[in-house]
Amino acid sequence: MRQYFKNIFVAIWTILIGLKLTFKHLFVRAVTIQYPDVKLKLPDRARNRLYVNIDDCIGCRQCEMACPVDCITIETVKALPNEDLGVTSTGHKKRLWVTKFDIDISKCCYCGLCVYPCPTECIYMTDVYEFSEYNRHNLIYHFSNFTPEEAELKKKEVEQFELEQKMKKAKPAEQVTVNNPENIEKKS
Amino acid sequence: MPEILNVLIASVIPLLFILVYAVVILWVEIKVASHVQDRLGYMYTGGFHGWAQPIADLLKLLTKEHITPERSDKILFTLAPILVFASSYAAYAALPFTSTFIAANLNIGIFYIVAITSFVVIGILMAGWSSNNKYSLLGAMRSVAQIVSYEIPTVLSILTVIVAVGTLNLQEICEIQKGGLFSWNIFKYPPFMLITFLIYFTASLAEVNRTPFDIPEAESELVAGYHTEYTGMKFAMFYLAEYANMFLVSGIAAILFFGGWSSPFGEFLAGPGWGVFWFVSKGLFFVFLQIMLRWTLPRLRVDQLMYVSWKVLTPISFVNLMVVGLWAILK
Amino acid sequence: MSLFDVAFYVLAFITVGSAIVVVSSRNIIYSAFALLFTFFGVAGLYVLLNADFIAVTQVLIYVGGILVLIIFGVMLTTKVFDVPVKTETLHVGPAIVVTGAIMGTLFGVILKTKWFDILNVQWDGTTKKIGERLMTDFLLPFEVASVVLLVALLGAVIIARRERVKS
Repeated sequence: MRQYFKNIFVAIWTILIGLKLTFKHLFVRAVTIQYPDVKLKLPDRARNRLYVNIDDCIGCRQCEMACPVDCITIETVKALPNEDLGVTSTGHKKRLWVTKFDIDISKCCYCGLCVYPCPTECIYMTDVYEFSEYNRHNLIYHFSNFTPEEAELKKKEVEQFELEQKMKKAKPAEQVTVNNPENIEKKS
Repeated sequence: MPEILNVLIASVIPLLFILVYAVVILWVEIKVASHVQDRLGYMYTGGFHGWAQPIADLLKLLTKEHITPERSDKILFTLAPILVFASSYAAYAALPFTSTFIAANLNIGIFYIVAITSFVVIGILMAGWSSNNKYSLLGAMRSVAQIVSYEIPTVLSILTVIVAVGTLNLQEICEIQKGGLFSWNIFKYPPFMLITFLIYFTASLAEVNRTPFDIPEAESELVAGYHTEYTGMKFAMFYLAEYANMFLVSGIAAILFFGGWSSPFGEFLAGPGWGVFWFVSKGLFFVFLQIMLRWTLPRLRVDQLMYVSWKVLTPISFVNLMVVGLWAILK
Repeated sequence: MSLFDVAFYVLAFITVGSAIVVVSSRNIIYSAFALLFTFFGVAGLYVLLNADFIAVTQVLIYVGGILVLIIFGVMLTTKVFDVPVKTETLHVGPAIVVTGAIMGTLFGVILKTKWFDILNVQWDGTTKKIGERLMTDFLLPFEVASVVLLVALLGAVIIARRERVKS
């Protein structure tokens, strides 16, 4: 019987204690951050959207190789001898046209592994993290300066050039091979 | 026909009150909930602290599609929300908002309210059964078992007050407590009226299915209890009825124990206009207390629920009634 | 037609209409829920007769208590609400005789009673009078009724109590 009344008393008392606690919290400053209006400062090394400074890219494909999810696609075309592509800001000489440098950011896992191998430090993580799109295709970023048509044109040009080179090389060789097979080795 | 016009006006005022109050209390509930948890709640809609959000929510509910489950009982499914809301709305007829306005000044006011709210029970059973959904049926069964067992301590504690004041008319109960703070019923027969109030408040929490007695709507077990299958306007009716019931039990608590529309300072700040203010703010205070309790206490288990009702509240309220009755006779 | 008449006809229609549904429905749940409206209509008729206490008691006892019990019983008894209830007429001859007798008695009572117009009588609350009568003139029936209820309560407890196995 004593226990019964004690239980009731304890119940009422603890409810009052609980109410006091919730009432206190009613006036505690909210921890919520009103996100689009107020943003938290990102840490210095935060990894977010990838960016490629295409002017510095030498088309070495090291980032493509490093990517664990294959989200980077690079196509390059050799520069013709008469074309000078200049140097990068780090002093590397550019020898290739980068006709395609696509990053499918929807695949990207933000591991940052592509950043380290880059010899010219032209691929890096920025602090932009709001890049949602209505269309999934918009998440494939094209960094190359070439449009697909221009890239095609460039490829054809190079093919043409290579064909000419081959023709130049092949013509004398053909004659020799017909007449004397042993001469090839000497020539080359 | 001025007679009909009078009836119409008297019946529309409580409805308007319920609608306005529901919008306000929806906002308060969300805001209190979030601030207790150190959050902000909604902040954008309408400008200041998202005040227009409940209006937007209501409009959304109004425009939503009515979905009736294929295997449900169509007639009862439609009838249930109407019955639930109608009965809690009908109970408002006997609430004295101020000394000059009461929709129906009944001699048996409080008895009428107790009786008419029993339609809610039938409505809940109807909703649970007609939905043809096990969660709905279980929720309805639990809800009804809970309401029926907690009706006993509620009525016993109301009876204690009736014994003390000697009338069933809510307007007269308010008149009796008119003389300022210390003539309120809560301070009569100390400390038995305080115990009566505690019993009434606890039992009324269970009557309106609020936490800690919310096992009929336990989200983690029963989805949403008896209104799981309801959408759109029908769901809104249940929602509205629930909030209307919250104010109803709070308003009755204010009338029975805290003087209803009477001012706590006696003649100062009294009058019909101030009466509305005092009554509504007293009622809203208890609604606020209900909301605070929701974020303070965990849900009771079924056996604990029945223990509280049958072994704690009912015997104590019975003894209480006896003591107050004896005291009232001897006085 | 005054407001009073309108209220009377509406309530009478509700009472009689839902009572017909109660006896003619094939679904037992429908019968149970239709009973709700019958009780409501009867309570309304009591109100029109100025018997406010009786009306509210009617709602409280029948709707809040008995009807809930009936519906609970129907729902908890498995498969009952799937079985179509037979409502066809059996024994037409005896039925006509019995109902005719009851009808005749009712008509006789209605015609012989001296009616008075309640609209012209000023009534005050009936609650106090009922209470006083129950505690003075009708104390014995009142106590007998409470003893019957007590017996029912004890019976319910005994049925519900789990049998202890003797060890």
